[in-house]
Amino acid sequence: MEIVNTPKADEQSVQHLPDKATIGATVPTTEELFEAAEGVSISPTRAAIRRFMRDRRAVICSGILAFIIIFSFIFPLIYQHLGPTYLGGVTGKETIMPQDYHNPTWGELEQSDVAGTFLPLGPDSLKYPLGTDTTGHDIFAGLMAGVNVSIEVAILVEIVDIGLGVLLGTLAAWYGGWLGAVLDRFTDIMFAFPGLLLILLIAATLGPQFDMVFHTSLLGRILLLTFAIGLLAWPLMMRYVRGQSLLLKEQQYVEAARTVGTPNIRIIWRHLVPNLLNVVVVAATLDILTTIIGEAGISFLGAGIRPPNTSLGLMISNAANKLETNWTEMLWPCVVLVVLVLSFSFIGDGVRDAFDPRTKD
Amino acid sequence: MDQILSSLPALIVLVAFLAILAYAGIRVGPQFLIRRIAGLVFVLLGVTFIVFILGYFSPGTAIDGLCGQHCTLQNLANLQHVYGLDLPWYKQYGNFLSDLLHFNLGLSFQQRGQTVLSILGSGIPLSASVGLPAVILQVLIGVPLGILAAVRAGSRVFDTSNMSVSLILLALPTFVVIPFYQLLMVFLSLHNLPSGPISYSGALTDLIAPIILLALAGMGYFARLTRTTMLDVLNQDYVRTARAKGLTERVVIYRHAFRNALNPLVTAIGPSLAFIVGGAFFTEFLFNIPGIGLAAVNSISAKDMPTVQGTTIIVALAVVVMNLVVDLVYGLLDPRVKVA
Repeated sequence: MEIVNTPKADEQSVQHLPDKATIGATVPTTEELFEAAEGVSISPTRAAIRRFMRDRRAVICSGILAFIIIFSFIFPLIYQHLGPTYLGGVTGKETIMPQDYHNPTWGELEQSDVAGTFLPLGPDSLKYPLGTDTTGHDIFAGLMAGVNVSIEVAILVEIVDIGLGVLLGTLAAWYGGWLGAVLDRFTDIMFAFPGLLLILLIAATLGPQFDMVFHTSLLGRILLLTFAIGLLAWPLMMRYVRGQSLLLKEQQYVEAARTVGTPNIRIIWRHLVPNLLNVVVVAATLDILTTIIGEAGISFLGAGIRPPNTSLGLMISNAANKLETNWTEMLWPCVVLVVLVLSFSFIGDGVRDAFDPRTKD
Repeated sequence: MDQILSSLPALIVLVAFLAILAYAGIRVGPQFLIRRIAGLVFVLLGVTFIVFILGYFSPGTAIDGLCGQHCTLQNLANLQHVYGLDLPWYKQYGNFLSDLLHFNLGLSFQQRGQTVLSILGSGIPLSASVGLPAVILQVLIGVPLGILAAVRAGSRVFDTSNMSVSLILLALPTFVVIPFYQLLMVFLSLHNLPSGPISYSGALTDLIAPIILLALAGMGYFARLTRTTMLDVLNQDYVRTARAKGLTERVVIYRHAFRNALNPLVTAIGPSLAFIVGGAFFTEFLFNIPGIGLAAVNSISAKDMPTVQGTTIIVALAVVVMNLVVDLVYGLLDPRVKVA
């Protein structure tokens, strides 16, 4: 492996010693550039958002993601009324309206394994745009429902994750002592399990209980997944928050606040938490990625979202056995999942570069 | 003969790990070792307790299924007595622990008459022969790519596109990549082009595809991690000094920069090694490889609690022990970390 093009030291800067020692090249930061141009200073958060906007890949992915999310929440309402009415059903003589068959839970067995009707464009285009699976469920409606479920689980898990992580992390850092030690031991134990296995265990074991309480509804399963994934996500967030809080605790404004007699909770809320934004945003974006993959994985293994509800993982698992007969059934959920995951990971990269530009190049 | 051959990777791993443990233990000092092992025991106790609680509270165990159609209360009570399920929870936990120490993981609920240990015993070598080559492949390909990207930082070919590909690889979950691969194989075979198998049929060559696919995500991860740490190190003053001394680039990169970048890498390799025993669920599920991962997944859906507990404990044990090895190797590599 040839290593030739390493950046070599500049002749000039080596030959004479400068008066002031410059340790490493200083590229002007976003804040300094803004101040020089506008004359007023901007907050670090605003500077970070500006840096994010300059990352083309991340902005494009945010756009794609926003489009997909808004589309999958709004389009089903319109989709219910689009499409031809046809005769079908068990007897073959019932009228099936779009309100019925564009519902992700409706399986029209007579229309199993229909190929996508979108092309050629015609009156039947919007019947089953991407086709149906082996039990007659419309794939397009299933995709939108699957994206909905993934986003809902992700949002709920983030609320739990950030809430618990910030709360316990700041408390552990501020009060220290036994609380920190106990949480440390507990997180050590949590880290000993490979995440997916524990989530699978919890989801499979507590699944029936949640089903009983919530009468086998989608809400019950979503809450189950939130509980299982959130349980494994918050220790890591707590560690990050605790590390950052320990650093922040030594700052002078905190010392000043204590001297004046501010109550502890107020110090934590007004001074520590806003400055934790950097760490929390980066960790949360990575957690969203893990949540989406985790939810799809658990549904894939049959312990998460169950029929009649759909999820992207469930669609992939149903299609996995029927590859030879109907390969488009496998293609579309995989494509959507890949687009979701890649968008979130590029956005995560952009967020990390925006909030911590030292690790960029 | 086949048995020995298939358990050879596991034997290699076991011997290597014991050797590292002994060597590092002697080098790093008994105090460090004792403290780490105490931590390990504590974590294992916590893990076994959690696993036991999950089993205790899980509703409708396979006992009900075992009971059969003409189940009377008396039969149920007898079955419960045989499996020891009518004792108070702390006694059950005590029995559980003492059984563990005697390597008795119980009888499987689902597969009548088979001990959990035999299920694990037949599964571990197969999982190891998928996991170990995968980890080796990840490190051997990922790390040099990362070094290359760091050394030629900023170049489009070696850095930017390299890291984009790595990010894509690392973000794609295995249960998406493997179906695409199987789709491709089906497509090729339909058009009479050379293709590979899409499931495990007993031949070891069937494992090549799972190993490569499993290694893909890890390659991306290691490449990015190596690049980040190498960039950090390459900007340090001692690297500049080494170059100023007139050392060749190769020596500077490998002996000075890479040695210091090794620490976070070693920490990252730890959990990957646990995969060897833990088994990769999705890979085994999709390729139908009867390893530990598949056993865990099947037993969870069949509510076969002893097998679930056995596999979870084995996997957690592997993770914890690998972390211990990583800690010790850390202490070996970095003499500043004596008694951390």
